[in-house]
Amino acid sequence: MVDMARVWPILCQFGIGGLLCAVGVWAGLSSGYLDMKLKDDRRLVAVIVGGFVGLLVLSCAFTFWLPFVGGGDAS
Amino acid sequence: MIGTQLDLIVMVNYFVVVVGFGVYFGKYSSTTKDFYFGGQRFAWWVIAFSATATTVGSYSFVKYSAAGYNYGLSSTQSYLNDWFWVPILLLIWLPIIYFQRIQSVPEYFERRFSKTTRLVATVFILIYLIGYVGINLLTLGQALHTMLGWSVFAGASLACVAVTFYVFAGGQTSVIMTDLVQGITLLIVGVGIFLAGVAHFGGFVDWWALMPESHRYIFSEFNKPDKFSFIGVYGQDGLANTGAFVLMNQGIIMRFLALRSVKDARKMSICWILVLAPLAAITVSGGGWIAKALVENGELETTANDSFIHAAHLLCSPGIFGFVLAALMAALMSTADTLINASSAVFVNDVYRPYFKKEAKDTHYLKVARISSLSVAAIGLLLVPIFDGETVYQAHAKFTAAITPPIVMAILLGILWKRFNTPAALATMVGGGALVFLSTFSPFDALFLKPLAFGMGEGSYKFIRAVFGLLVSGGLGVIVAYATRPQPLESIAGLITGTQLQAMEFFKGAPLNRREGEVVYVPVETDASLSGDETVLVSSAHMETLAAEAGDLLYVCDRRWWFGGLRSFHTKAVEGGEGATLRLSAEAMARGHFQDGDVVYIEKQF
Repeated sequence: MVDMARVWPILCQFGIGGLLCAVGVWAGLSSGYLDMKLKDDRRLVAVIVGGFVGLLVLSCAFTFWLPFVGGGDAS
Repeated sequence: MIGTQLDLIVMVNYFVVVVGFGVYFGKYSSTTKDFYFGGQRFAWWVIAFSATATTVGSYSFVKYSAAGYNYGLSSTQSYLNDWFWVPILLLIWLPIIYFQRIQSVPEYFERRFSKTTRLVATVFILIYLIGYVGINLLTLGQALHTMLGWSVFAGASLACVAVTFYVFAGGQTSVIMTDLVQGITLLIVGVGIFLAGVAHFGGFVDWWALMPESHRYIFSEFNKPDKFSFIGVYGQDGLANTGAFVLMNQGIIMRFLALRSVKDARKMSICWILVLAPLAAITVSGGGWIAKALVENGELETTANDSFIHAAHLLCSPGIFGFVLAALMAALMSTADTLINASSAVFVNDVYRPYFKKEAKDTHYLKVARISSLSVAAIGLLLVPIFDGETVYQAHAKFTAAITPPIVMAILLGILWKRFNTPAALATMVGGGALVFLSTFSPFDALFLKPLAFGMGEGSYKFIRAVFGLLVSGGLGVIVAYATRPQPLESIAGLITGTQLQAMEFFKGAPLNRREGEVVYVPVETDASLSGDETVLVSSAHMETLAAEAGDLLYVCDRRWWFGGLRSFHTKAVEGGEGATLRLSAEAMARGHFQDGDVVYIEKQF
């Protein structure tokens, strides 16, 4: 049984966080400031997405897996 | 006194070295641009480490170690929710302030809205900043009292004189260079204590096994406990405080403006938030985690608030513990110096220049900048005995809680929504601030905050107040914006999203050249026939490699990376000359701190 008190934080942080990221990237693209023809700009978008996914993976690992490794009680 | 005489000697030496280091770099500050923005020449890694030192505040070791001791890994929540604001910072806010040459948050309010809005923002931000100078000096005094037994005011005075000494000498340049050292010290000591603790238990697996299961989660539970629930911490820190951090923190904005380019701002943000912030989280929380495991293992008795010092004392030999004390001092000093410099910047830019002396030579403003740094530090010091009495301290905390969400919302709506106008900004800041302030008193706290508390009790109100502040100030702003006329778009060009390219053109003063070129490495040579401090001649071949045209903005920097941009300057491309050298006027050589034959790299900006 999944403990929703542990799931809601991930949904909330990455839901609202995703929205904030999307607003920033949309503003960059729609203004032309972010030019996907430029290597640096493509790299920035990749890093933004990579950072988001990396933090999500880290959060999931420390919520659903690592707390139960090494003698923890599964809830 | 904590520790031995040897520890004390190590700490005092560290103190002297940092102050001396800061004073030495004073020679790089000869204009107000140097004093407040470090000459806009620093490399990303210098600013990333210095910003880390600034963000690890005077209270951080105690606060986060206590949270780590009580709640485990979830003490890192505050350090892992910053990334989501980075796109708004890098793609909207930074291009606006950097390319519009906006020097302070209140200045943005005047350019985007009106003079009245700037005045309101100036008053709010100055009270906020100077109050924080006082709180930081108080914390410094309390730390020295605990470590050395001195009176709080004597300790605060000594620390204040030391910090002000190098801020006075070198402004932002000295602040950045000392904070670079302090950032590295902090991270090495904090992470070192954590790793020493882990090694003490025999490795990560053994340490992890000693941590209670409740301490192994990266987030606390959604709505409990009241004083450390996820939603409370996220609302207060992840939304309001991080929003304030990237949008309204004058010290951090000045750090971004000290970078040599917005390209470096990208690298700096990535390094700072994805690499150094998690290390900083371990630095400030690790002592609490190790202390908890030591207690579980029956090796230590401590309280949450003392967990860092007790764990460090147990793990470190005499002398090494002196570095721990030095790291605590580093956390304290690196925040105080930034606050003093930032308060002085707001005073000169938003009070002195517009209301007392509009047109004067830069040397005059530099003098005023130095005097105002001294004055801010003096006022901060005078606040120490007042804040020591709790009531005023609490009043400042309430004031800060009241103004932060409204100013964040005013900036956010200001940069995102063209309809958001002057009356809406005033309603957001003044109306929103008043309602949040009201929510700090009974019975309004229950009335306003209980519906948003997700079933939590009064213990959560301090956190939930930030969510209430964002909602109510944003709501007021939207209502007033719809009820009044929007400003003409041409009056806010370059100040809202959608117009970042116009801001870039304003900065350059010519059409943009965004063709991708390559960096050129070339020796410099003085050319006596050139004059003016920004005159260079770039050969045709180099112009082609750079993909540059006459009038494009160039950045010229000593190729030795460890100078971190200290030896560099910005200029405009002028084509001329042949051969493999970059010819500079004598003034330009002095400005860049170059000597004939030094190899520099040239980078085209746009």
